[in-house]
Amino acid sequence: MASETLVHSADPVDQHLVTVLQGKFEVAPEDIRPAATLEDLGLDSLAAVELYVTLQEQWQVPLDDSEANIGLTVQQVRDTVHRLRADSAGQGGTA
Amino acid sequence: MSPVTFGAPGTGTTAVVAGTGGCLPARVLANDDVIAAGALNTTDEWLRTRTGIARRRRTTPGTGTGALATAAARAALRSAAAAPGSTPRPDLVLLATTTPDHPCPASAPEVAHRLGLNGVPAFDLAAVCSGFVYGLTVATALVRGGVCSAPLVIGADAFSSILDPADRETAPIFGDGAGAVLLRRGGPDEPGAVLAADLGADGAGRDLITVPGGGSRAPWPADHDARCDHRFRMRGREVYAHAVRRMTASSRAVLDQLGWPADSVRAFVAHQANQRILDAVADRLGIPPERRLGNLSELGNTAAASIPLVLADGSARNGTEPGARTLLTAFGGGLTWGSTALTWPVSEPRITPPEPETDNSRRSNASWLPKHSSTPPIPSTSTS
Repeated sequence: MASETLVHSADPVDQHLVTVLQGKFEVAPEDIRPAATLEDLGLDSLAAVELYVTLQEQWQVPLDDSEANIGLTVQQVRDTVHRLRADSAGQGGTA
Repeated sequence: MSPVTFGAPGTGTTAVVAGTGGCLPARVLANDDVIAAGALNTTDEWLRTRTGIARRRRTTPGTGTGALATAAARAALRSAAAAPGSTPRPDLVLLATTTPDHPCPASAPEVAHRLGLNGVPAFDLAAVCSGFVYGLTVATALVRGGVCSAPLVIGADAFSSILDPADRETAPIFGDGAGAVLLRRGGPDEPGAVLAADLGADGAGRDLITVPGGGSRAPWPADHDARCDHRFRMRGREVYAHAVRRMTASSRAVLDQLGWPADSVRAFVAHQANQRILDAVADRLGIPPERRLGNLSELGNTAAASIPLVLADGSARNGTEPGARTLLTAFGGGLTWGSTALTWPVSEPRITPPEPETDNSRRSNASWLPKHSSTPPIPSTSTS
């Protein structure tokens, strides 16, 4: 459901996203819903880039920094990470 | 490049910081002053919270980078003269700057001339905000190679001369200033010894930090064509990711080269670009806040001067003792980046106001070694 928070998700990308948004950007866990934009969560443009850099470091995927912006939703961010992880797995995991 | 070690402990020779100096223009601009000057759509509070900058220094019109550099060099010489042991006569002047007094020639020869050092080799080095780390590395290699034995390494910039006052991305960020160190030949176990370095560049990012016009590719037209943009431009959001990654990786390379655990670093001095970049790098390295030395809120980003101005700033020192492990790291236009590991020097730093400009700078009778009584001993970037 689009309105559910990601807090109880078993997916490792979701869990990491929640940890980072909570720990680094002090977002309240109940606010971390798929439809929320990064701006809704209080991130500004540099914070959006910092989130992307952090996700790249964690998942070793080629997230494009220039696409990081505050209009992205949580759903879009997690989908991008999932897609890039799948792509890199398809290439032998050496993204 | 692969990181290099300078002088294996107990055996080699390297460069040692003999004196540290800085130069700050007296004119202080608060955030509201910069906002008013450029009719910027921002606020003091936004700038403080998003960049960490509250005020910056600016030169007066007609005072160039050379005047700042000369004063910082004199301050470094006074610092060295006040320290135990003999002070070597500088035998090379290296000036890292993006804002030379003239497009041609370099400013370093005139700085050497003003210091009474006619005849010594003198050159500018262009690596934008990485300039001081580049310069320190080059100068250390020149000492080790026997080319010189006491180079003056100066980082100086008057970015106010290239800023667009109406550009919100850059106008509030940059300040003017200069910092310098006098190096001498010494052993790696001495306090102030330069021990390792890592440098890198990636020209694919040329246009992220740039003055687009006025160079040979797009010369400054005689009719001052408005299409020729000769102001400094920076794409801050994109720079952020590059800066965080490169400074983190370069710092790690130098620490690994020396086998220094991150928690053994007592003084972490990163280029003073933006508080959020500094914190992002230091957090990744695992260096706690009290070991991150800086003066960004008082001086803004002083480009090539920012790292030596932190080294020269007594109020930023935070109890760092001579011999303490010190890590410098920088990122700038080019793109360029670099890191240097050293130990904290014995000498007490000095800070002075800029030298007065003269018509022809013919001060060839000036002594290279200034009197130390003419400089206030304790530098401070606090303003009243």
